[in-house]
Amino acid sequence: MQYELKTQVIEPRRKTFTHLIERFGDRPASRYEEGSIGIQATENFHYRPTWAPDKELYDPDYSEFKLTDPYSFTDPRQFYYTPYVTTRTGLHEAFGKTLDYLQTRDLFAKLPQSWRSIMADTFVPMRHYESAGQLIFSGACRFGYGTTITQCCGYAAFDRIGIAQLISRVGIALGGGGAELLDSAKSAWVEDAHLQGLRRYVEEAMVEPDWADTVIAYDLSDNLIYGLLYRELDEAALLGGAGAYSLVAQHLSTWFTDQRRWLDALYRAWLADEQYGAANKAAFERIVAAKLPQALAAVTAMAEHIDSFEAVGAVEALGRVHTALIEQLAGLGLDIKES
Amino acid sequence: MAERVAQARFVSVDLQETEDNRALIEAIVADNPDIVANHFPGVVKLQSATQLVVKRASVEERLGRDWETHEFQMAIVTVAGNFTEWDEDEIVIAWEH
Repeated sequence: MQYELKTQVIEPRRKTFTHLIERFGDRPASRYEEGSIGIQATENFHYRPTWAPDKELYDPDYSEFKLTDPYSFTDPRQFYYTPYVTTRTGLHEAFGKTLDYLQTRDLFAKLPQSWRSIMADTFVPMRHYESAGQLIFSGACRFGYGTTITQCCGYAAFDRIGIAQLISRVGIALGGGGAELLDSAKSAWVEDAHLQGLRRYVEEAMVEPDWADTVIAYDLSDNLIYGLLYRELDEAALLGGAGAYSLVAQHLSTWFTDQRRWLDALYRAWLADEQYGAANKAAFERIVAAKLPQALAAVTAMAEHIDSFEAVGAVEALGRVHTALIEQLAGLGLDIKES
Repeated sequence: MAERVAQARFVSVDLQETEDNRALIEAIVADNPDIVANHFPGVVKLQSATQLVVKRASVEERLGRDWETHEFQMAIVTVAGNFTEWDEDEIVIAWEH
């Protein structure tokens, strides 16, 4: 008796949801696509918001930045819940290990006095800056249009509160286990001259009604702060015997690389849009022209304050970061006038 | 008997068809113009008359995260051919003789 083994292939009637088949053809869609594309609520809103009677509850008109097809932007990291959580767990655990290492070796206590002051006066207050970022990205998540965009903004908001927590943990460890440093950082954020420019900058960004303007403005200051504090100062810290600072900073600059991936992709999508590209570009250039000098002035005040403790060359470093940022914006195709 | 000599030798690799591997399969199909992909339940058979190249950069682009070439091991069900090259950036499967 002979048996012939055969595989019988049963073709599924369709490989994914209808709206994805219409967009990509009948092919298996990734989880990211299934969970992100075509999810934005577009109709049956019934009532207009009383606080914005000229708009719908979810409306592309909450921003002057528009995409003909909001899903022409997709997250290059393809984050939906699971990959987001797994990636960030990794980040958080790596940071926890670093912090354990710093504490068991008592490396915070061995910081040079000048670096200790730099961390207490400038680094720890950044938790309030991050917290502002959480509000800004939550706002963008609410008012943005297109799930691929709002989802990234939502995750960015979670990231900011996560980073604020990381900074707080460093602040507690640096203060020897108590919250005194966090308290003094709060009063520094509200009172100290070197932080007032930045506080004003982010608070103004928070009340700006156009979510995309806010995100760009905040991203400009992000570029300067992350470039200065977590990349340039990281180097200076290593040379200045403040290894603890460098070990902490590396995690933040790694995170920022990740943040850049989706933001730059969104910028490119905005500028490349057939219908709205030119308007988006004009708006983008206007925001950069208005906001970048303000951001630079705010961060320069911080850099000068850092240099007053130790001549680490923060102001020159900021100059390099600023030049790189202008090149990066020009690389997107924007006409940036040097101010 | 003499007619059978000219038959081409195919290189092939069978990969498990999972969510993650779909990006890998897409990348291989895009990078190898003469490839034939046959889908079976849970497995994809990729076959080529010349060679099979897996490029890290194109897998990463589709996967949206870093991917190391040794992760290819996790996807393989079976292989016909030699791994003539396996470094950080690409894997080449071909017959060496």
